[in-house]
Amino acid sequence: MKAIGKMTIGELAAFVNTHLRTKGIDCVLTGGACVSIYTENKFTSYDIDFIENVTSKRVDIINALNDIGFIEENRYFKHPDTQYFIEFPTGPLAVGSESIKEIHTLTFQTGKLKLLSPTDSIKDRLAAYYHWNDQQCLEQAVMISKDHNIDIKEIERWSKVENKLEEFKSIKGKLLK
Amino acid sequence: MLEALFGSINRERVLLFLHSRDQGYAREIARFFKTNLNQIQKQLERLEQGGIVYNKLVGKTRLYSLNPRYPFLKELQALLDKVLKFYPDEEVDKLTMIRKRPRRKGKPL
Repeated sequence: MKAIGKMTIGELAAFVNTHLRTKGIDCVLTGGACVSIYTENKFTSYDIDFIENVTSKRVDIINALNDIGFIEENRYFKHPDTQYFIEFPTGPLAVGSESIKEIHTLTFQTGKLKLLSPTDSIKDRLAAYYHWNDQQCLEQAVMISKDHNIDIKEIERWSKVENKLEEFKSIKGKLLK
Repeated sequence: MLEALFGSINRERVLLFLHSRDQGYAREIARFFKTNLNQIQKQLERLEQGGIVYNKLVGKTRLYSLNPRYPFLKELQALLDKVLKFYPDEEVDKLTMIRKRPRRKGKPL
């Protein structure tokens, strides 16, 4: 097994995700780490955000992560050999007002990783762009769209549900380039 | 009114304030309800950890709002709207009837 300090963000997230599952903690990677993975680190995130739909006891998460050397500091879990840190934002797993129906799985040599699909990852970034005008998140959404097949009709439908159809129309071209 | 549901009267106050005024900072909310600042700050932090509110720094002031990305936002707002219907009119006016339009600096009246 590769040393934790040498793992990429995807390898580490898969390692942690697999380890947590063996302890009965089932969670899904979300946020910037998905962007890092889908863009092959063209965008760098050090933040590994896992969301559980059925919340485990905090003490169970602490014990499970302690087993592999992650120690809790201020609600984040840090490991002495890596810059990446783990957080468990409060669920549910959602993009905007909708729950996530389809979970993607990627296999790394360190384990299996459950994460948002490229299309949901784009929605997740667009939510920050739509609601907070975060241009970096728009750029990240565009970066994912360049490397993956995405469901543009689904993103349009979701944007309409979020009352952001006009905003979607203005950036649709960037996602299709 | 929904203290049992929200877990604390100050959490209810924070949510009602942010829902009514769109945004607010801890001292402003504490002053409005004539309550302890630390208690309000604690509730804001808890709500932020839960993804229900978010903050942004404006100068040195940390301004909080309901999080537009919170999946249950519409339902929460509907609940808070209903709570406001049970509040005395005078209280609702105090919460909602504030000047939001701009006012030029130095205007005499």
